[in-house]
Amino acid sequence: MPRIDWRLALKGFAGFLVGLAIWAFLSPVYDRLIAASAEKVMRAFEKPSVTELRPKEDNYVTVDRADFDRRSKQRPAIPIRDLTFNIALLTALFAASKRTFSDRNMGGFVLAIVCLALSHVFGTVAEVMSIYVAKLGMWSTVHYTDLERNVWGVLNHFYRVVLMYAIAFALWWIFRDPGTAAPAAAAKKKKRR
Amino acid sequence: MQRTQVLFLVKFFAILIAAYLLIAWNPVNDHVIVPFTEGVAQVSGALLNAIGQKVTTSGTVISSPKFGVNINNGCNGVEAMLILLASIVAFPASMKARAVGLVLGALAVQFLNAIRIVTLYLLGAYQPRLFDMFHTAVWQVLIILSAIAFFLLWSARVAPNRLATRA
Repeated sequence: MPRIDWRLALKGFAGFLVGLAIWAFLSPVYDRLIAASAEKVMRAFEKPSVTELRPKEDNYVTVDRADFDRRSKQRPAIPIRDLTFNIALLTALFAASKRTFSDRNMGGFVLAIVCLALSHVFGTVAEVMSIYVAKLGMWSTVHYTDLERNVWGVLNHFYRVVLMYAIAFALWWIFRDPGTAAPAAAAKKKKRR
Repeated sequence: MQRTQVLFLVKFFAILIAAYLLIAWNPVNDHVIVPFTEGVAQVSGALLNAIGQKVTTSGTVISSPKFGVNINNGCNGVEAMLILLASIVAFPASMKARAVGLVLGALAVQFLNAIRIVTLYLLGAYQPRLFDMFHTAVWQVLIILSAIAFFLLWSARVAPNRLATRA
């Protein structure tokens, strides 16, 4: 196997720690932003527009609907931060670059973060829909078909198990600085010289 | 981005979706993924016993009076193996190189995954406050990063020019 460039590996690990810290400290604010955006998207596509996503104190977001009986207190809740920690993967990949702070790499990182945020909105919508179609008992059975249950259930599981990582990897692949490819590639070039 | 790079991404996602649908199919999940996860639990349980933790393993559950973990999909390393599979198969290389990459990569991912399960058990037993953070984010990202790093090393070996100069 090609020689590992430990300097780049270390940069990647530092990027991972920075990403993790950003995710951990900004989650309360970021979760609200994602919940508000997901609510807008859902309301735009549903008739009547009734979905309400309300952030709670404990990093969860309550899923409610204006047409649900207000006397009933029980509402499902989703942990949005479980859908967004791929930020740490993205920062690690962009940091593992020969010219981490080059304009091209940083510009690519910003674009990738914007796209990643859009994917977080999609992940949240899939999470809420998977609750609507299957986890609200008789209400789910009456309002959604088996096909809808399967589609949203699979989409939500797919996002959580692999898609959220694949999206981060693909965004890095698309937006990275072409001159500072991968740790392995850089090591190979170095060896040739 | 060049056409080959776009093609790589298209193939990557197509293979990823196909592989995911295959393992999510109930017969495959019940007869392949669950027994595989039980094997992961057995190995991790043996490692924990080797370092003096008196644990018992039953199915996918590792437990002791101190703590217990149930290894589910998403914690068995299969998700990282899917990323590895999709990236290696999507990358232009010989069948032999792909097979070698897949076998070595899967072994590397599973080695790291065993360490993940052992450390998560130890955190749960002795530092429970840190368990959630490490379970949800830290180890998940590290496992996927290891799969991506392995792919980059492998691709640089099988076709350095394709990745290094056109990336």
